[in-house]
Amino acid sequence: MKFFAFIVVLFTGALLIYGTVDMPNWGDPNSPPNSHVSPRYIEKTLEETATPNAVTSVLADYRGYDTLGETTVIFTAGVVCIMLLRRVK
Amino acid sequence: MDTAQFIIGKFNYWVYIVLMMIGFYAMIAKRNLVKKVVGMNIFQTAIILFFISTSSKSGATIPIIQNAHGDAAGHAINVAQYANPLPHVLMLTAIVVMVSTFGVALALLIMVNRDYGTFEEDEIYETLEVLQLKK
Repeated sequence: MKFFAFIVVLFTGALLIYGTVDMPNWGDPNSPPNSHVSPRYIEKTLEETATPNAVTSVLADYRGYDTLGETTVIFTAGVVCIMLLRRVK
Repeated sequence: MDTAQFIIGKFNYWVYIVLMMIGFYAMIAKRNLVKKVVGMNIFQTAIILFFISTSSKSGATIPIIQNAHGDAAGHAINVAQYANPLPHVLMLTAIVVMVSTFGVALALLIMVNRDYGTFEEDEIYETLEVLQLKK
């Protein structure tokens, strides 16, 4: 059984390493994730949000709903932990 | 020269793939439930590192606009000078989800340990079979 698991893991790893042949190189400034939408955030962050830190402006301003959902997730996790771990007397 | 460039360009991906394989193996082959959960955490860490690595630009600094306030304010912003902020933000969210799932999973494991007195899967199955026979 462990041997079978090892084969599955090796097969997945080989597939992924085959997939990296087409990936952009490390530090490539023209790679797809660096070239489409993200330059806009860097260019407009000062003008639109007056925040020099682009990560903060995207997290709390452009994608504020995402952050609201994030806090909901961690609140739910905390409530679930309390519900699971309390001892009912 | 070309081969060396290829290896340097893709080496970061290979490191993450090896990390992911370690986590994947722990998830499907280990019998201890805590080890399975920690394997899931290693898997998620590998994916987060992969996303962060896509944000790198050679020669770029962190995505905080320099000289934003004061005399030099209002100058043109060179995009190639700053790293991509988007993967960092998305992975902040992913880290929050990762910590939440890890905490809930550990709480569930504490409940399992209260009922069965063990984290080992086969021992839990044995206890379950004994309980079935008693019925």
